[in-house]
Amino acid sequence: MPPESVEVLVFAAVALVLTAVFAEPASPRRGLVVKGGVGLAGSAAIVTVPTFDIALLVLLMVGFLQAVIGGVRPFEVRLRPVVLAVALTAAGLVFARATGPEVLARFGAVGLGAGLAAMIGLLPYIHVFEGDEPVAPSPFAWLAFLGPVVATVFVARTQQELTADAWAAFGAILIGLGFLNLVWGSLATWLATSTAAAWRYSFIADWGLALCAFGLTVIDGRRAALLVLFSVTLCRLPLYLLWRHAAGERPVKDRPVNLVVAAALAGSAPFAGFAARLLLLRAATQVFWPLALVLALGMLLWLPGSLRLGRGVALPRGRQVAAVVVVLAVNAAAGLYPLPLLSAARL
Amino acid sequence: MLEASAGFIAWLGASLVVVADGRRGLALGVATSALGMAGIAWQAAGPAAALALAAGGALAAAGRLRSGAPGWRIAPPGSTPRIVLCIGAALVASWVGLVVTSGGGAGLRFAAVVALVLAPARILWSDDPDVQLSAVAVLALGAGAASAMGPSTAQPWSYVAAGLVAAAAGWLPVRPEVRDAA
Repeated sequence: MPPESVEVLVFAAVALVLTAVFAEPASPRRGLVVKGGVGLAGSAAIVTVPTFDIALLVLLMVGFLQAVIGGVRPFEVRLRPVVLAVALTAAGLVFARATGPEVLARFGAVGLGAGLAAMIGLLPYIHVFEGDEPVAPSPFAWLAFLGPVVATVFVARTQQELTADAWAAFGAILIGLGFLNLVWGSLATWLATSTAAAWRYSFIADWGLALCAFGLTVIDGRRAALLVLFSVTLCRLPLYLLWRHAAGERPVKDRPVNLVVAAALAGSAPFAGFAARLLLLRAATQVFWPLALVLALGMLLWLPGSLRLGRGVALPRGRQVAAVVVVLAVNAAAGLYPLPLLSAARL
Repeated sequence: MLEASAGFIAWLGASLVVVADGRRGLALGVATSALGMAGIAWQAAGPAAALALAAGGALAAAGRLRSGAPGWRIAPPGSTPRIVLCIGAALVASWVGLVVTSGGGAGLRFAAVVALVLAPARILWSDDPDVQLSAVAVLALGAGAASAMGPSTAQPWSYVAAGLVAAAAGWLPVRPEVRDAA
């Protein structure tokens, strides 16, 4: 079991507990816990099974169950992304394992990279999105809850499957996909007409950072990836759920809490996203310094979108106050002192 | 010879799922594909693996007979592109299995590529949940059979997992679109 995967699984469990504890009494908590618990159990199975093939089949089952539970989008639309992801990944594995010319392993790397992007719902395979869909059957389940665990498992298992040359190609593919998602996601967060769509694109932008971090294949890259996934699961997801619960209420004017939330979403100091960005830039400098320059410019694009999303969060009331305080405190703690998180993942 | 025959049967089954619209045609396709995949798995990983895939495919086919458009509806009018896809997939899979790659297990590579091309193509092409679930079963069986190329071919667990996913695709109910707040 890759230790990062276990830790990201714990992040997902904490996010589920936070959601269940701080959800408003009027919301259907039981359904959320049951669906989230099934997703968490599936993620745990993906982490613990002994081979990549079984993990892929468990992933197919989890995606199939997610499509079966209902939602706003038709069944066939919900089913397609996971099937495409599994097919691309399985084809990548066939090419990576087959005996033949060296280029076959590189085709395998392409299939595995494309399968990862299709599974999470990143460009160029973004899932069909409906703003008013419940969270459990929506693309957010992959972007923020199942995706982080599955991605860490996929990357760790892929490293065991590919040759050194193909692994380098896989890293380059991830960096390319990551930069595409980073730029597109952050610009779309700023410019999308619907705020729900802007939230979705903000997750995609964060995933761009995570893919770049995975692709850099040095230890600082893995550290950055872990902190980005922490930020996705335990900062952006709870704040998105908070925005959903208060979607009917709109703030009259900017308040300090809106600015603090925007700072956390933008990855400013002292939150976990800042530490992740620093580590990512350090990793990029070690591998190829112009990449760090490009990434730093790309990171500036987070600001306008995050201000927009931060403004959309209404003044918290009741349990929401506690939820916002806990989320911001946990993220500040992880940003100021990330060593325990990194040590637990043996990074 | 057995491996080549099993590969051909797997292709025939996957092709039936691609060209059929009726529940009987789909069930026959899933069962035929499972038979072929089981033959491949027998060669690569022994009888337990073959049994797991065959049982999963049989359950999926039995479940498919419960719902979907009645009858066979194999190659209905307008299905020429699907037939061309099946033939094209066979040619590409033969090229990959026999020419591009080397070593033993050409039938396994052929069957894996066929299942991993035809099943997703059918799912992307169709809007009918019953058709899509039949293709999911074929995809699971294909992914399970392809695990024979992996590092732990002696363990039957991946075949058992594939059989379970295929069976689930045949029996789990599909809920219509709902708008709740969960």
